Amino acid sequence: MGTMKLSLKTTSPSRRRRQFSKNLVAYSFILPNLLGFAIFTLVPIVFSLGLAFMSWDGANEISWVGLDNFAKLSDDSTFNIALKNTLWYVSATVPLTMVCALGLAVLLNQPIRGRNIFRTIYFFPYVASLVAVAVVWNMLFFPSAGPVNEFLRTLGVENPPRWSASIDWAMPTVVMATIWRGMGYYMIIYLAALQGIPAILYESAEIDGANPWQRFRYITVPMLTPATFFISIMLTISSFKVFDLILVMTNGGPGRATNVLVIHTYNTAFRQFKFGYSSAIAMVLFALVMGITIIQFYMERRWVEYSQI
Amino acid sequence: MNKWLNRRPVKFLAALLAVLFALNGGLISGGVSAQSESVTLTMSAWDVATTPYWQAVIDAYEAANPNVTVELVDIPSAEYQDTMNIRLSGGDDTDILTVKDIPGYSAMLTRGQIVPLNDYIEASGLDLSVYSGAAEELTYEGSIYALPFRSDIWILYYNKTIFDAAGLAYPTNDMTWAEFDALARELTSGSGADKIYGAHFHVWRSAVELGTVQDGLNTIISDDYSFMAPMYDMVTGMQKDGIIMDYGELRAGNIHYSGPFENGQVAMLPMGSWFIGRLVGDQAKDVFDFDWGVAKYPHPEGVEAGTTAGTLTSLAINEKSDNKDAAWDFIQFYAGPEGAKVLAGTGNLPALRTPEILEVFASLEGVPAEATEALQTTTVRLELPMHPNVGEVEQILNEEHELIMTTSLSVDEGLEEMTSRIDEVLE
Repeated sequence: MGTMKLSLKTTSPSRRRRQFSKNLVAYSFILPNLLGFAIFTLVPIVFSLGLAFMSWDGANEISWVGLDNFAKLSDDSTFNIALKNTLWYVSATVPLTMVCALGLAVLLNQPIRGRNIFRTIYFFPYVASLVAVAVVWNMLFFPSAGPVNEFLRTLGVENPPRWSASIDWAMPTVVMATIWRGMGYYMIIYLAALQGIPAILYESAEIDGANPWQRFRYITVPMLTPATFFISIMLTISSFKVFDLILVMTNGGPGRATNVLVIHTYNTAFRQFKFGYSSAIAMVLFALVMGITIIQFYMERRWVEYSQI
Repeated sequence: MNKWLNRRPVKFLAALLAVLFALNGGLISGGVSAQSESVTLTMSAWDVATTPYWQAVIDAYEAANPNVTVELVDIPSAEYQDTMNIRLSGGDDTDILTVKDIPGYSAMLTRGQIVPLNDYIEASGLDLSVYSGAAEELTYEGSIYALPFRSDIWILYYNKTIFDAAGLAYPTNDMTWAEFDALARELTSGSGADKIYGAHFHVWRSAVELGTVQDGLNTIISDDYSFMAPMYDMVTGMQKDGIIMDYGELRAGNIHYSGPFENGQVAMLPMGSWFIGRLVGDQAKDVFDFDWGVAKYPHPEGVEAGTTAGTLTSLAINEKSDNKDAAWDFIQFYAGPEGAKVLAGTGNLPALRTPEILEVFASLEGVPAEATEALQTTTVRLELPMHPNVGEVEQILNEEHELIMTTSLSVDEGLEEMTSRIDEVLE
């Protein structure tokens, strides 16, 4: 910005005009996307922000209710359950997906035979149809005759969990499906970052007598922190807004065992027609994600290393 | 170069505007010309590919009214009401809206998305008494917003081959739930892949809860749900003893009730009369090869045989429709005697039931002889009454049903939670 101001000061009117027309070309390239974003995302967000303070059933008159929608939240047992479930889900999926993705990336960064095939296999769930993934997982975890429970029984587990058909195991089942689906994508990001670590670091560490674990702990992990930071932000946001996988796998059930905030928002809006109240729930979710993301950015300087080699 | 750069965005914008205007103009003129010459009506429907009657009635109507074309908007059955709610909130202008159930009807009615039909009915001189009470059930605060065209009741389907093999007499038309339970236990045999289940309860809440309102003392919207305990005790007991398939598995596997019945795995299936058409069709296509029969829905002790629960499927006119008069003409046909005859001919029970129309139904190839007797009713209770909060109530009922059936809660705990949560909604 500073340099641009400087150059503008010293430029002639004709150069300024040329700069302007260059900008215009750039803007015209951005325009289609920006229009789409404005119409389909920005306007609804602003509308929803306003709706959070109103009462509307989607058809009849809108009325202003101030903070009533937010005051109602604490008495709404489903909201409290959904909030708890969402936090549970996020705190399980984010670290576990990161660990699995990192583990896979380190393994598939070794010079092993057919590693490209393995990389493709692990990436595949990410591009597979989500509905198909959900249906197949439900089949795998079928309580009586599913392959997973058959296997557990051969291992001697007499009463294997009933997975998505039990209130205690439904959430872990959904978490596992999420990790399996997402880890391939984050593995690719880690792989790219791993390949960017200069080999001289490992070589000199080896000369200094560092064992493989020490090399991993003191070279790989710190060198990967920028990727880890990026992944933690992306994962946190995507975990907070989980909807589709849960809707297809359990529809929020059994009972309310896997009801998360987005599912509750959807139910209150499109099944109960409380668009105002639903927007208030959405705003709480927004504030939550926003707050956590800001904290993550604030913490960045404490642990992320941007080395200059 | 400079000028070219300068003018390009301007040209681009001008072209964009020109295209927009052209599109807009085309749409407007298209709409006008369509109205003056011929009418195209749109109608929302579900599972068009597997439900033959939608198109059959439309074909009959178009044959009688060559200037009208009716196009179906196909929506998957399980997502029908959710999809319609979202579409209508967005100002959807589909002319004719099929009303699948009472929650859907309440939702559209209380939000002014469907128009009252009283004036049309008066102008056409339509006699609503031919629907034998169904029209009254759709009347809300003196107005009726939909005409019923299908009326289904719950009956009991049974697999004759399994009964013959077990050497047991077929279910009678006068059977209590206790007798049903005992019979199902006798019919259960085998294990593993060869297991025969005595009965089958589909995952729907209604499959269990309808039996609790047959006596007419309570309705599904209540301030105390303890009256549901006997039925839930019976069904969870059957589940525990392996007389019926496990609820959690049916849920996890997303198993449609036609599967276990048509595979010959279950002896008795309480289900709506809409299933007759499907069974007749599948048997004709050799999907299964056993004999089946139907009997009246079982009833609680002390309630007259032939007391059952029913659902209405009806047609309404969208408030946003530009062709309301044409739409009325169509739904009058659909719900009237001509439409009813076509419906009956495809193995469905029309809401309009004259002896002549029932004869068409009973004489269909493949409909079991017992159907005529089994479909006679003494009292039909509505699955869900009209209520402004019915959508929210239904969600709670479904969640608690799920908790009871997965044995996450005991029957009493589940019904208590149901009562307290629904109390909060109805306050």
